Parts: sequence; structure tokens; C-alpha cells
Amino acid sequence: MASTTSEGGVESRELERFEAVVVPHLDAAYTLARYLTRDAHDAEDIVQDACLRAIRHFDSFSGDGATSARAWLLAIVRNAAYSARRRHRAEDLATEFDERTHSNAVADAHPEAELLRTAAKETLGRALEELPPDYREVIVLRELQGLSYKEISDVAGVPVGTVMSRLSRARTRLQRALRTEEGR
Amino acid sequence: MNHPIVESELDAYLDGELADDEARALEAHLADCVACGRFRDERLELRAAIGARMPVFQAPDALRRRVRLAAESSVARPRMARPVPVRRWWVPFAYAASLTVVAAGTWQLTRAGEAAETLTSSVLGSHVRSLLPGHLTDVLSSDQHTVKPWFNGKLDYSPPVHDFAARGYPLLGGRLDYVDGRTVAALVYGRRQHLINVFLWPAARGPSGGRSMKTTQGYHLLHWTAGDYTYWAVSDLGLPELEDFASLLRQADNGSDAPN
Repeated sequence: MASTTSEGGVESRELERFEAVVVPHLDAAYTLARYLTRDAHDAEDIVQDACLRAIRHFDSFSGDGATSARAWLLAIVRNAAYSARRRHRAEDLATEFDERTHSNAVADAHPEAELLRTAAKETLGRALEELPPDYREVIVLRELQGLSYKEISDVAGVPVGTVMSRLSRARTRLQRALRTEEGR
Repeated sequence: MNHPIVESELDAYLDGELADDEARALEAHLADCVACGRFRDERLELRAAIGARMPVFQAPDALRRRVRLAAESSVARPRMARPVPVRRWWVPFAYAASLTVVAAGTWQLTRAGEAAETLTSSVLGSHVRSLLPGHLTDVLSSDQHTVKPWFNGKLDYSPPVHDFAARGYPLLGGRLDYVDGRTVAALVYGRRQHLINVFLWPAARGPSGGRSMKTTQGYHLLHWTAGDYTYWAVSDLGLPELEDFASLLRQADNGSDAPN
């Protein structure tokens, strides 16, 4: 489908595609961004950035069923989150190792993060927040969003075998946290 | 776990990601092996804890508005007046409906292929529209004996309704929808976080013929005619699973002997 011309109809077709491919998955996009950035405002920026990229690169979405629309959009969200993270790397590294400060800062700035902060107070929630991003994302994609291994592999850009092993290791870590909690 | 079976394989089994024969072999092993049984129980416990305690977020309205504005300005023709500046969720639906009108106006020239194309657009438009908040179901129930009677008096037919929860496709509810110029029954099924819409209406109305499959915009559409009804199943679910679901539906309809 042509996407660069400005003939009549292209605009409505593109918006139509946007409605069909992007809009139904905005909650999923935002949830992934929230867990990757751990910040409500950053997550919104990431999703907006990702949607713009999605519109510009509709050509890269084949729509032939090889990749689901959701996985395609989430892959863009993930890439947007990772490049933002690289941009703020120095800052990020500083906070990465001080979870307490980070969590409080998030909650103070954004009251709606209350839910996440409450969860993070518990060992399980904190364990999820502290997982490396490539472990955290497979948990979010599988446990919270129910993606298949194939879809996760499309989102993360790694083979299904890697998805399997990351998911298994991530779960074992979280399980350890859950056990600690129960032993309390 | 110090064991011939690796943990990730057990995880894949619990996630429903193993092929049937592998899954059966693992089930047989699970029945005998205490360590693997304990592993499974702990994983299920973890899954429940994550599900209960880790929130799934909704995109804030402000974000939805920002994204929409960004989309519009990104595709807008520069400095040209646009007839309808604000576009909303009903755009795909309206687009499908306008195709219907065009097809009707040139009926004598319309070939079967184009008519099928229009129907596909109409079905897909209805599916996409149903995914928007508040549009999925009119009757929200996993009980087929609640969903089926709900259609009474709303349609001139009584669609067969089945629940496949035991096979991993729970019935979520039903609603009335509008496809190709008539009011039809839509049944909603779930598969993990995916949704399947099944549209059905008396077969005489639809194009005759057997099964067909179409993939567009990342959605699969399966179409078939069986018994008294013509069916469309639409989902972003992977094709093998959607076909699996469709065959369950066909079997159930054969077995239920034309429910009334």
C-alpha cells in the first residue's frame, strides 16, 4: 500500500490503519512502557513516540499474519523505551542501583503510581522491578499480557528458545522472592 | 532442578506452548515425578500471585488524545482543508459501510470476489470496533444458557452457542452487531489475552461455498458455512489456534443437531 503520496484517500486509509493496528493495543503498549520505564510520565512519552514511529513505518508491518499487530506495536514500544534508556543512561545507571530513592521519586511525582508503589513494597513487586529489563519484559508480556512465545520473540527480537530460557529464569527469581515473602 | 527435564520445558508445558506429543510425554512424567509436581505447583502459585498483584495499566485518556492528534497531524496533507478534521473509533466501521454502499450501487458490475472483499471489510470493521472499550459484549456471561436466550426476540434466528472453556477458549459473552446490511449475532470467546469474535447468520444470506481464510491488518478471518449458518471467526490469535477453535466450533455444531 502506498503511504508516501498525498493523493486523496491515502490520509483516511492511513488513519483507518492506525485505528485497526495501533489503537486497540494502546493499553498493552502503555503497560509494557510502564514496566520498562517504571515511570508514568516517561511511559506516556514512550508510547507517543512509538505510535509516531508506527505511523511512519506502517510499511514494515506486513499484516500477513507472520507478526500480530500487537506484537508489531509492542516491539516498537520496546525499542523506543530502550533508546530512551540509552539516552538517559548516566541518569538511569545512577537510579538503577538505588531502588528506594527511585520508587519514592516515582510515587511522589505521580500519585497514580500508588498502585505500583504499593506492589513494589512487597518483595514480589520489588523483585519484578529489579529484574534486568530483558527478563522483566518477558514476564510482563507473558504473565500480564498473555503473548505467545512466538509473539514475545517478535517483540524482543530474540529466538523462541531465548524467550523460553529468559522466562524460566525470570520466574525462578520471582519465585525466590515469593518464598522469602511467605517465610516472613 | 536436578532432573532430566529442564525447567524451561516444564514452563513451556504450563504455558501451553508444547506440541501435543511433547505435552503428553510431559504429562505422563508429571504424574509420576514428585519434584516436577512440586515445581508445577509453585509455578502456578507464582502465576496467581503475579496476576493478583501486578497491575495491568490502561492508557490514560490524555495519552489517547495525544496519540490521536499526533496520528492526524502526521498523515495530514500540508495546508489543505480537510473535510472531517476529527476522526474517531467508528472510522473503520464507516469505511466498511461506505464500501457496502458502493458495492450495492454497482451491483451488476460487482464480481463475487469484490463482494467477498466488502464482506471481509465489514466483518473486520465490526471486529475492530468491538475491541474498543465498552463495545465487546451486550450480554456478559460465560454461560451458554444465558447467552443463547439473550438473543431471543432480538434476531429472527436463534444462534447456537457453545462454551469451550475446557479446551482453553472460554465463552465471554455475546452482542448484536451489524454486518453487510443486517443485524447479526456476535459471540465472543477468549484465548489467553486474545479475543475471538464469531459472527453468524442464516446461511442463505451469505455467499455459498466452503471455507476460506483471509489475513488483513494482522487479523485472521476464517469463513465457513455449516448447517444452517454462515460463520466468520476473526482474531489476532495465531492462525493454527484460530483454526483449532474453528474446528471445535464446527464439531460442536454438528453434534448439537441444529439447536433451535
